[in-house]
Amino acid sequence: MAVIEPVVGKYVYLTIQGVEYRVFYEECGTGIPIICQHAGGGDGLEWRTLLNDADITSKYRVIVPNLPYHGKSLPPESLEWWKLEYRLTKSFFMDFQLELSKALELDRPVYMGCYVGGFLALDLALEYPDKFRAVIGVGTAQRGGPATLDTFYHPSVSNNYRRVNAMYFCAPMTPEVYRREVTWCAMQCAAPTTKGDLYYYFKEHDLTGKTHLFDTSRCAVHLLTGDYDPTSSVEDTMELAKAIKGSKFTEMKGLSHAGMHENPPVFKSYLTPILDEIANQSKLR
Amino acid sequence: MAVHFINPNKTSSFINVLNSDPEFKIAARYMTKDVCIEVGKTKCIVKFRDGVITQMKSENAFADPWDFAIRGSVDAWEKFLQPIPPRFYDGIFGGMIRGNFVLEGDTVSAFSHFWAVTRMLDIFRELQNK
Repeated sequence: MAVIEPVVGKYVYLTIQGVEYRVFYEECGTGIPIICQHAGGGDGLEWRTLLNDADITSKYRVIVPNLPYHGKSLPPESLEWWKLEYRLTKSFFMDFQLELSKALELDRPVYMGCYVGGFLALDLALEYPDKFRAVIGVGTAQRGGPATLDTFYHPSVSNNYRRVNAMYFCAPMTPEVYRREVTWCAMQCAAPTTKGDLYYYFKEHDLTGKTHLFDTSRCAVHLLTGDYDPTSSVEDTMELAKAIKGSKFTEMKGLSHAGMHENPPVFKSYLTPILDEIANQSKLR
Repeated sequence: MAVHFINPNKTSSFINVLNSDPEFKIAARYMTKDVCIEVGKTKCIVKFRDGVITQMKSENAFADPWDFAIRGSVDAWEKFLQPIPPRFYDGIFGGMIRGNFVLEGDTVSAFSHFWAVTRMLDIFRELQNK
């Protein structure tokens, strides 16, 4: 008998900042909803093992959207997007999560994101603490660093460049089969998306002078960073965790930039206690 | 620890292994560039011609031209070449972000051929630890 995964893919129409988007998402499980946001220049494939993990989906409803312009979420029909340079802004990124949550009638979901998606965890917790019961930021820091974005979308540089970057953003102990899957997935997204998504990270995400405004009693903040991550180091995230009163930081040994994809069993060992804590806190409310 | 890929006595075997590596052969297609790998004060010029490495020169290479260069200290390369490198030395791009390696010259060409270059460096590590 054929193996058929329990994961279901659907399309939902969301109106964000006056434009309608046909958004693809996958989901599996029942229980506390968790929105799992992919990283910049990626798509929901990054979360495929979590979607298929019965230990998780027996207790949580795992929802994995593809941002507009990513994966199966096409650009909108009503916009002449080809005349615009693709650029992800903080306000659009936040509104997307709010509209998705509203459309799926989620009750204060957990938001979990990686890298660009991880940085958004912090912006959501700061600006919409009553919309999410907890956020989990994977690979985050107080602010983005300086960077040249042009090589991420250049006519002389192919998607192989993204393949290589992804490959070496895996810790050296990453199983080869996952390391190669990460690189394959990194090449899937449309060429403009990496540069456009990183705009939010490098240019708009900055919590300088704002960390005292977090209220972790309304929205818990969990931070996870791999010890091999060169973009947001353990020290970078620890600095952030110290600045956000009540936040919790976990160093993930043997992981780098996208733990859930590069070594799912190891990532799960760090994620499970956090989800248990969120579930227990939810019972007390 | 001696860095093997800049040892002139090993050049020939390095070239043979690189040019016969299945992944490298795909990654290096169409590449015609001169790449400088600098280990401390020692330059190693790797000549790519249409996807094949035709020469690795680390003796008297101080005046040889190159298209792009990857520079690191001897200590940085020794860390990079370990079987399990320490963090921020395990990949060139991550190492550049953290200031342990420097990329100079025609960086667009470097990124166009980054797969070939990084596969070459992985093979350097494999041969270093053989």
